[in-house]
Amino acid sequence: MDVTINKEESKTIVVLNGRLDTTNASKFQQDIEPLMEGDNPDIEIDCTNMEYTSSQGLRLFLMLQKSVTSRAGNLILTNMKPQVKEVFDITGFSNIINIL
Amino acid sequence: MKSKSFSTRLSLNVLLIVSILFVVALSVVAIFSHILISKEAQKSSTNMLNASISDIEQTLLQVESTIQNASWLVKENEQDEEYLYHITQKVVDENPFIVGSTIAFDSNYVNGRFHFAPYSCKDEKTGAIKSLQLGEHYDYFASEWYRKAADSGKPCWSEPYFDKGGGELMMSTFSYPILDNNNQLIAIITADISLKWLTEKVAAIRPYEHSYASLTSQEGHYLSRGENYDLVNETLLTTAQKAKDTRVMELSQKIINGESGMMRYEHHGKSGFAVFGPLHNGWALAITCLYRDVLEQALKMDIILAIICIIGILIMLLVCHRTIRHMTQPLTEFSTAAHAMAKGNFQAQLPVIKTKDEIMQLHDSFEYLQQSLTTYISELKITTKANERMESELNIARSIQFGMLPKILPKNKNCSVHALLTPAKEVGGDLYDYQLKDNMLYFAIGDVSGKGVPASLVMAITLAACRFFNSMELPMKKLVGHLNNNVSENNEANMFVTMFAGRIDLEKHEMVFCNAGHNPIIVIPPDEKPYFLKAHTNLAVGIFPDFQYQDETLFTPTGTRLILFTDGVTEAENHNQELYGNQRLLTLVSAPEFKQFNAQEMTDAIYASVKNFTEGNEQNDDITILSIIV
Repeated sequence: MDVTINKEESKTIVVLNGRLDTTNASKFQQDIEPLMEGDNPDIEIDCTNMEYTSSQGLRLFLMLQKSVTSRAGNLILTNMKPQVKEVFDITGFSNIINIL
Repeated sequence: MKSKSFSTRLSLNVLLIVSILFVVALSVVAIFSHILISKEAQKSSTNMLNASISDIEQTLLQVESTIQNASWLVKENEQDEEYLYHITQKVVDENPFIVGSTIAFDSNYVNGRFHFAPYSCKDEKTGAIKSLQLGEHYDYFASEWYRKAADSGKPCWSEPYFDKGGGELMMSTFSYPILDNNNQLIAIITADISLKWLTEKVAAIRPYEHSYASLTSQEGHYLSRGENYDLVNETLLTTAQKAKDTRVMELSQKIINGESGMMRYEHHGKSGFAVFGPLHNGWALAITCLYRDVLEQALKMDIILAIICIIGILIMLLVCHRTIRHMTQPLTEFSTAAHAMAKGNFQAQLPVIKTKDEIMQLHDSFEYLQQSLTTYISELKITTKANERMESELNIARSIQFGMLPKILPKNKNCSVHALLTPAKEVGGDLYDYQLKDNMLYFAIGDVSGKGVPASLVMAITLAACRFFNSMELPMKKLVGHLNNNVSENNEANMFVTMFAGRIDLEKHEMVFCNAGHNPIIVIPPDEKPYFLKAHTNLAVGIFPDFQYQDETLFTPTGTRLILFTDGVTEAENHNQELYGNQRLLTLVSAPEFKQFNAQEMTDAIYASVKNFTEGNEQNDDITILSIIV
């Protein structure tokens, strides 16, 4: 799982690459920890190359969503693959996280 | 091949180097001392030669002067025959070296005395002198001693000869011509000297054991030559020819030519040198010495030196070996200590080192290693103990967790239930529950996000709450709503639970269910194909409190089968990172025989299929399967 974070003026762009599973969930948590504070809460996550997410991964998206919401920001997940989107749909996460 | 010890190898190397040094030093000393000794020997031999030459010459000159003096008397008294006899007697008597003397008158002499030669000789044993007229027995005009002096008109010494008629001795004759005032020959006066005394004198010239001196005449005849040699038939040249050596020939030629000097030569494989010099009368004296003799003492000295060196080297080898072995002894002890350490004895005794050298460094390193290993091992023991404790605690937690799950469904002819839960770790975050009460079958399956201990704690809370709210007989959506509020409260860790919960009225054949973010379940109607049950998407439990859950109703005629499972089933991975997937599961349960299975057989068949698919690949999520037949 590769995580690339680009901080732009208006928002932060995160590019995910690979599988988000149990083995690298804590690494992903460390990577996104800096995004859970600061004055610029808007985040766009590019999921084009994200192959899979485990329930732990969902939990981290949830944490990020809560953090962004508390700072009156927007979290957007883009270009999600159907099999990943399915997990978000089943768990109801599609209802609370903005997926474009 | 047996390997040699370090000390032996080092000792042998030192021995080799020292031996080479000794050999070189000894050789240099030997060569230089031999050269010096040889030069000294040549010098002393030359001195001895010169002394001997002057000694012999003194005697010869004495003989010559005696004859010279007598010649005057002959000249003055040539007519007095009596007196002439007297002269010869006097000559023989007064000079101890002269054994015979004659005054041989020349044939041409005017007084007409022909073959007149008064002669006196000394009996060697008695010393008595007898006189006779030599001319009566002996035609002396032809003899060498006469002719040589008569022809040259000068005094001369004859070649050596064996005096058969006279003294029966090896003799040489000094001939002195007496001339008148017109330089006409009157007579030859002679002195015979026995070479015996010369032989003795020359034989005494022996600077070394195998040295010998030889006195030769002008023509190379031996006048005297050591002892026991054939003086008559052999000459210097014949001796040289026998030697068949050009150097010896050259030497002989030089001696005969009257040269003086020193020359090296080889004879019968023995090397030596000769010093030689001429006498005034043309004779020559030569002394030969063998290097073997000259260097005898030096060679003895060399051998003694060599023996001392060998003994020294052997002692040194012994001392060297012992010293090195003493120095390397700690290495052996270190080796023993290392073996002991390998067997777990980190307190193995190390050798005591007093020298501040590399061995000391090794000792310090060893000590440090021992201390580090001891510390490490004790820490490892503590860690292992902690791990063991944790493991046993996890095992207890596991049995507590499994104890919470329902075991047996009260027997009822209208339904059967079977469940299987296999956590990926000791404890897990999956849960299931069921209860039958008054023809109402309640059941639930859940999956807490994550796994392990954190998930297991949330699982325990969820299961307990679930059971509690079911006992309150709340409508299904309320049950899940309460559950959600319960779990959401103080959920700092943002854990959540996907759940599917339902109740089947076994009389009305009606199922009320609520899917809170869980995988769709499989429904196998009695006469239709199995399908994934589409349900309203509710949010997983624990995310937002007060979320409004919705429940739905499904007709479940007798013979309906339900399969509930967690994503550990569909997301089980094989070695090629392929997922088991919904489709594979649906195909499995679509098999006709599946409708003949009881609940346990259904569960087991699915689990076996998953295990078969993963082919021993490590299970990375909890697996739970709940089969229900109504």
